[in-house]
Amino acid sequence: MFNSFAIIIFAALIHASFQLSVSMLTLLSGHAIGSKAAHGRLLKLTNGFFFGVAVMTMLLLSFTALVFQHAFGAHIPLVAWAISCGLLLGLGVAVWAFYYRREEGTSLWLPRGMARYLSDRTKATKQTAEAFGLGLSSVIAELIFIIAPIIISALVLIKLEPLWQLAGILAYTLVSLLSLAIVNGLIGSGHKLSRIQKWREQNKRFLQFAAGSGLLILGFYVYVDQVVSTTAFAYGGL
Amino acid sequence: MNSSIDVVKAEGRRPTESYERGKLHASVLAACLSVRSPEGEAEMTAHKVCERVEQWLAAKPEVTSNDLRRKASESLDIHHPEAGYLYKHHRVVM
Repeated sequence: MFNSFAIIIFAALIHASFQLSVSMLTLLSGHAIGSKAAHGRLLKLTNGFFFGVAVMTMLLLSFTALVFQHAFGAHIPLVAWAISCGLLLGLGVAVWAFYYRREEGTSLWLPRGMARYLSDRTKATKQTAEAFGLGLSSVIAELIFIIAPIIISALVLIKLEPLWQLAGILAYTLVSLLSLAIVNGLIGSGHKLSRIQKWREQNKRFLQFAAGSGLLILGFYVYVDQVVSTTAFAYGGL
Repeated sequence: MNSSIDVVKAEGRRPTESYERGKLHASVLAACLSVRSPEGEAEMTAHKVCERVEQWLAAKPEVTSNDLRRKASESLDIHHPEAGYLYKHHRVVM
């Protein structure tokens, strides 16, 4: 139980270190403040975005766990663990290599056309419902990187009792939202966007290194814990 | 100042527009307000930046939108460094 929750929390922390939602929240609040929106309006927009991200993260994890539950039941084949670990390791290296572009600012790996589209949509967002939708789509846009921690968490979740599965989904969602919650809180309490953005730019290489390393460590740990140890026990029992 | 300066947008991928002080003023004002600058101060800063940019624009028949943005950013850096930072990095946040 402790081991399962440790994996879920660690995977969620890796998820929290990805930055697309934070970038979109920064842009959204920048446009809202710049267009003289009242503070209440700003909070509605940023909170709408925040809840959009929360709902999509929860849905994505639940859906992945449901698919695995139907596919594997309670007995997950070793090959599924091995493929998931390979995905974690591959994405860990990809994060090290590609997550931030080699230019000033906090430009992400996104194709420039897509980044422009998301930026324009963020700029045009005026309603809370739109902000909620933007939050939903920001999670989908980053699916290529967050899929690995979500898959591992889903595999771990389906081995738990139903009540603990719900607790695991909630824990993953809350922890994965930590970075967004901090930025949302800072914006809501009147901190300057320029300081938040400067901090992000100054620490982007560290965040990139931490996210990539986290994926590698998780992949290695889960491989030893689920694949190597199971194989060793199986041979030991023969 | 020359009243009909053409602004070449996005390296020619979008139609050229005439220079409009109002658009430049609005973008600089938004950057100042984004860093929680008081409205009066933001208006004054935007006015100073527009003046400085227009001095540079004088006698130029055509400029690119990137050059216009760079010049405005340089000027905003002098009058309001924090707003200047956001103005300069606006397109590289994501």
